Amino acid sequence: MSQAIVITSGKGGVGKTTTTANLGVALALSGAKVVVVDADIGLRNLDVVMGLENRIVYDLVDVVEGYCRLRQALIKDKRVDGLFLLPAAQTKDKNAVNPDQMKELIGGLKEEHDFVIVDCPAGIEQGFKNAISGADRAAIVTTPEVSAVRDADRITGLLEASGFEKPELIINRIKPRMVARGDMMDIPDIIDILAIDLLGVVPDDDYIVVSTNRGEPAVMADSSLAGQAYRNIARRIKGEEVPFLDLSEKETIWSRLRRLMRRS
Amino acid sequence: MVAMTQDVVFKGSKEGLYLVLNAKQDFEVIKKKLKEHLEKSEFFFKGSPDVILETGEDGFSLDEILEIQNILAYPFGLKLKKVKHRDRTPVRSKPETQRKSPRAVSAAAPRESVESERTERRRYMRELAGTLPDTLLYKGTVRSGQRIGYDGSVVIVGDVNPGAEVSAAGDIVVMGVLRGLAHAGASGDTGVSVVALRLEPTQLRIGDVIGRPPEGERSAGREPEVARLRDGTIVVEPLEGIRWEGDR
Repeated sequence: MSQAIVITSGKGGVGKTTTTANLGVALALSGAKVVVVDADIGLRNLDVVMGLENRIVYDLVDVVEGYCRLRQALIKDKRVDGLFLLPAAQTKDKNAVNPDQMKELIGGLKEEHDFVIVDCPAGIEQGFKNAISGADRAAIVTTPEVSAVRDADRITGLLEASGFEKPELIINRIKPRMVARGDMMDIPDIIDILAIDLLGVVPDDDYIVVSTNRGEPAVMADSSLAGQAYRNIARRIKGEEVPFLDLSEKETIWSRLRRLMRRS
Repeated sequence: MVAMTQDVVFKGSKEGLYLVLNAKQDFEVIKKKLKEHLEKSEFFFKGSPDVILETGEDGFSLDEILEIQNILAYPFGLKLKKVKHRDRTPVRSKPETQRKSPRAVSAAAPRESVESERTERRRYMRELAGTLPDTLLYKGTVRSGQRIGYDGSVVIVGDVNPGAEVSAAGDIVVMGVLRGLAHAGASGDTGVSVVALRLEPTQLRIGDVIGRPPEGERSAGREPEVARLRDGTIVVEPLEGIRWEGDR
């Protein structure tokens, strides 16, 4: 039973692409056959984050327009077995594809993969409509900021109107210390507004910047806290019950880390 | 007589002499009528060397404009100064300026008509592809998402950034850093090369061979380099002391 999951947010810069890459890697590491799809036509990034930019020959638009077969456009990940990337076109725009074509494309990908993860562009226009068509599940990424949550709320409404019964939430870049001080929106605050199921919480982690620049998703690094969080989300996607690390517990990890840092 | 004045009309104005041509008419007919018109009233045009060509929305192709320019110039000594379409986007019509780069066109277009400038530029690029086999000189940075495609050789005076594409039927020369994708010999020519002051491409293609820099190491070279095909693989060498085919 393969499934297509769209990673969306409304607001830009909250971590859709990072989430897509990390979940793709985490799911593939767990033995599933995974394809990540960059639906951000004209502003592609997923290839860069995964370090596969220089392997692109054909892209999503080439497939849709019939210039190549689907299989030709899939790029095999260089580190993880069973992981593939379908890159977006960079020199076209969102209107190069329509939702029906995307639906067909995602359907084709589902035949050969256990998970199809679609990286949705920011916004609620054509690109968003393309990205969600063909998906069975939707995960909304937000950060603990009022503006991001506002957009996530808008997206939730749009997804529900498009027939997604239970969009799920990923809260990204939580800073436990700031939450503890009351300076940052807390998880319950966010859930309260959005009223959807929580799929995972990813702590703010400097390593994400490093991994993004290197083109190596953080999941691959055992030491990364964010990587751990993504691994947990991947397990939840597969249907496992994985307890959430509660804030206080995370705080002890963080303070321990800080202590270690100070000592060295 | 009536039909003629409809297809080819000269009007005087402050800016110069307006030549209004009906672009819907067959181009051969236009040429013939234009010549007749000029011959008949040659003396009338003496001393008014600047002509502004005005066309309907359909306009003329670059080739046709060049032909009109030739008719005006020889033997009538008239210079085509600019071409106006009904949407009032002037295009410089001197071929040297036009071939130079698409930027020359956008620079000549007025700020207020961004949309028509864009259409004009697209049209221009399409037409350019038909007027070969020259070299396209592009001045400026080619940024992510931009694509320069040309049915001849391409010289970029500037950088080609990651995510940008330069594709040429002939050679590609980048007088700057090539960080994006370059495809030389895009229509199958394998004897072409890619030259850059700094060759750090995400990917190189020559003919139908695709190459990418080795993983890990960031390009060591800080000197100008040449990429060519040798025995079916892309080989990169320093530009200095390079031997080209035909060198002694």
